[in-house]
Amino acid sequence: MRDRHLKYLLMMPALLLVTATVIYPLGYAGIISFMDWRLSRSRVPTDFVFLDNFWRAFFDDPSFLNSLGVTITFVAGSAGGAVLFGLLIALLLARRGRGYSIARTVLVLPFAMSPALQGTSFRFFLNPEFGIFDAVLDSLFPFLAHVDWLGSSGWAMTWLILTDMWHWGPFLSLMLIGGLLSIPSDTLEAARVDGASTWMSFWTVVLPQLMPVLAIAFVLKTIFSFKMFDYVYLLTGGGPGESTSTMTYYAFRMGFSAYDMGYASAIAFVLALLLVVVSAVYFRLLFPRGEAG
Amino acid sequence: MALSPRRRGHVLFCLRGIAIAVLLAVLLGPIAWIFLTSIKPLSDVYTMTLFFDPTLENFRAIFERPFYVGDRLLNSLAISGFTVLIGVPVALAAAYSFSRFAMRFKKTLFFGVLATQFVPPIVVVLPFFLMFRQLHLLDTWTGMVWINLSIVLPFAIWMLKGFIDTIPVEMEEAAMTDGATRLRVIRDIVLPVTIPGVFVAGIFCFIFSWNDFLYALILTKKEAVTLPVVLSTFYTEEGDRWELMAATGTFILLPMFAISYFVQRHFVHGATQGSDR
Repeated sequence: MRDRHLKYLLMMPALLLVTATVIYPLGYAGIISFMDWRLSRSRVPTDFVFLDNFWRAFFDDPSFLNSLGVTITFVAGSAGGAVLFGLLIALLLARRGRGYSIARTVLVLPFAMSPALQGTSFRFFLNPEFGIFDAVLDSLFPFLAHVDWLGSSGWAMTWLILTDMWHWGPFLSLMLIGGLLSIPSDTLEAARVDGASTWMSFWTVVLPQLMPVLAIAFVLKTIFSFKMFDYVYLLTGGGPGESTSTMTYYAFRMGFSAYDMGYASAIAFVLALLLVVVSAVYFRLLFPRGEAG
Repeated sequence: MALSPRRRGHVLFCLRGIAIAVLLAVLLGPIAWIFLTSIKPLSDVYTMTLFFDPTLENFRAIFERPFYVGDRLLNSLAISGFTVLIGVPVALAAAYSFSRFAMRFKKTLFFGVLATQFVPPIVVVLPFFLMFRQLHLLDTWTGMVWINLSIVLPFAIWMLKGFIDTIPVEMEEAAMTDGATRLRVIRDIVLPVTIPGVFVAGIFCFIFSWNDFLYALILTKKEAVTLPVVLSTFYTEEGDRWELMAATGTFILLPMFAISYFVQRHFVHGATQGSDR
């Protein structure tokens, strides 16, 4: 067979599958978002309502606006937090030596751990009566002993972010360690000869060199933060009240508790659009002259 | 007062050591605690004690009525297994094509495939729920494998393309000038050297689909329920059964150790190689 045909033939199954698993459902969701379709009342869409679902979201539903704010708080906190945590880990572990490379093996574990399991078990660890996190924190910070971690809205959001950081920070640090170790040692040596302190050479040599990797890590993490669902469902259940109800979680509830398919699709679509806008802005900032190709 | 450089070196060394110890405790502690809880007798589960008589009672309990974790384990294995068996070969073919051939719109296509990863799963799962309801695929292995391919394929294509890109083309070209067909070249030259990469991609894909929660939560109900979804059934009327969650969790953790082994060999070594210049 000629390459001319083969190259398309090899690609065909993958492209068909991607179309069937993502592109087709995406279009379908787009159509449903213009419909009135309550599954509890009707097996088929009842009405074409055009932008009503979107109108309702932005002008007639405080819970949706709340979920928008919660999402932005979570994304900002967890993306920034996970990258900083990753940087911290990377600075600690980016050394040659057998001990260091064994320590680095541990870094994959949190990322490979099922987020569902992590959410459930962290919920237990935070229990004020028998949770291990609670016990450790209370002995370290006695003035926080009375706090019910998942019972107050501020702390619930904090723990949602910390849980996500635990999962992603170590993984991002693997990317950063690669970047750190590839900084030529003579550059650092030169800085030291010039009398730069460790602190100064971090800001003037290390950080600028690491910037591209940091930026990519941040973009990746932002995208995944927008998609996060498991921790909200299993750790906080969106609560207390609606204080940790992200857009993903709110769309899920509208779809599978209220069975309002049209409205749920509209919310999910707003989330997808938000993601497109944010990533477009990032890519524009990161690759100013279309280097992303 | 400034410390002498040597003393300062000592202090820094100790601080670094302490920081690393704390870090490892923070990362490994929760995993160890889940495991410990799973072998604790019920009387010690809700205490902090490290001294207890280990028991397998919790494991026995989860395999019996009404939890039947054995069936769920089989579902998880089958769904993740079939997802990998279908996803990885399909991805490999596409990755080879993306890596070796020139074609129009190749970059756009490749970027488009990757961009599907930006689509939030919640957008995709709503239409899938409605579609599967009509096709009678709700709560089946087939349905779950189908939707898991959406998580796995773009990632596998990207990873395998990166891998094939690093293999020199010269061998293939030499064989082709000797008259070998493209398919033979792929089978006899490319495939053998790609095996390690295929393996790593396979493990990643397995873990991704093994850990999936949202899709299984919505698209399964009774027959095809997977392990992560079982976890939420331990929030029962009579209270939360933490010891049973921990026992189930221990099963969920198993493939994680496989991945850490391979990633250490592949990823960590790869990450440090570039530095030895």
